[in-house]
Amino acid sequence: MIFREVEDRDLIAKARRGDVEAYNLLVSRWEKRIFNYLWRLVSNREDALDVSQDVFLKVYQSLPKLDDPARFPGWLFRIAHNEAFSMLRRRRPESELTHEPRTPPPGPGLLPIELSLAVQSALGRLTEDQREAVLLKVYQGFKFEEMAEILGCPVSTIKSRLYTALDLLKTTLAPTMLRGES
Amino acid sequence: MSCSSYDWKAYALGEIDPGDRHQAEAHAATCPSCREELATLRLTLDAMSTLREEEIPRRIAFVSDKVFEPRWWNGFMRPSFAAAAVIAAAILVHGWMMRPVSSIDAAAPSIDTAAIQSRIDAAVTKAVAEIQQRQAQETAKVLAVAEQHFAEQRQADLATAGYNLDLLRKELNTMYALNTGAGIR
Repeated sequence: MIFREVEDRDLIAKARRGDVEAYNLLVSRWEKRIFNYLWRLVSNREDALDVSQDVFLKVYQSLPKLDDPARFPGWLFRIAHNEAFSMLRRRRPESELTHEPRTPPPGPGLLPIELSLAVQSALGRLTEDQREAVLLKVYQGFKFEEMAEILGCPVSTIKSRLYTALDLLKTTLAPTMLRGES
Repeated sequence: MSCSSYDWKAYALGEIDPGDRHQAEAHAATCPSCREELATLRLTLDAMSTLREEEIPRRIAFVSDKVFEPRWWNGFMRPSFAAAAVIAAAILVHGWMMRPVSSIDAAAPSIDTAAIQSRIDAAVTKAVAEIQQRQAQETAKVLAVAEQHFAEQRQADLATAGYNLDLLRKELNTMYALNTGAGIR
């Protein structure tokens, strides 16, 4: 992790000096995480891909404004968050129609793939704010303080969204896990 | 301290200090309801961990995309380059063989251009077919290796998930038995 951080910092420094190859390498390291985060957030693969593209373009343009390269991950996700929500706001009227179909909750004796679908479905039932809190904490491993910076709101708000989301997920997923074992 | 003073969600998410963690664990050891709350949270987080990251469908395109450009010598290895080279060589060799060599040759009967053309076509078709076959074999080999790797990875994941589920289930069953008094006679 430390090595990786140093390497990212080095790539950022090179990219700031105009080294496009260094920036491309940085993109190749982060594109998968950013795409998955956006995909879970906006619930549409093509939109997630488009927004990912915009994110990395914006990051390249804004790289000189990044004060501390060590804070690159949070800064990157903040840009991703802003881009995603501006896209969601633009598409709000039609978004409910274009979302990929939600899968019904699986029955007993479920397979791992069914469990994944159950998780996907449960995440889909959260509000966007709650889902994003879960994505940043559970899937991206950010600390509460980092999440507060990314989302631009107090830690108390982050905790409230995350805890509500966990309560909702718990009621769906924990029984599903137990049923699957029975 | 009462049960409500412990933040089990923060605990499960790894957001509490080591000191508080020890205190919370000591409490959970003696409190069945807190233990159950924690087990349910862990079960939820375990279920969520089954959702894997997916590969990005296509790479992010960027200005002057040099990183993934092949090196100049890789160009010689490409099937399209090899095919072009074979065609060029065939034309050159054919041209050299068919060059006018003397006045006697010049007086010879006219060259059958249709036959030459058909020989060139045959040589080109053969070369292209060989290259395509080689390429298909290489692709099949790479796909087989990737599929095997994926299958092994999936097996390992399934085994780990199954083991974890089993452990959690046992833990929950034990707690259930303790709470309801079942099994204690």
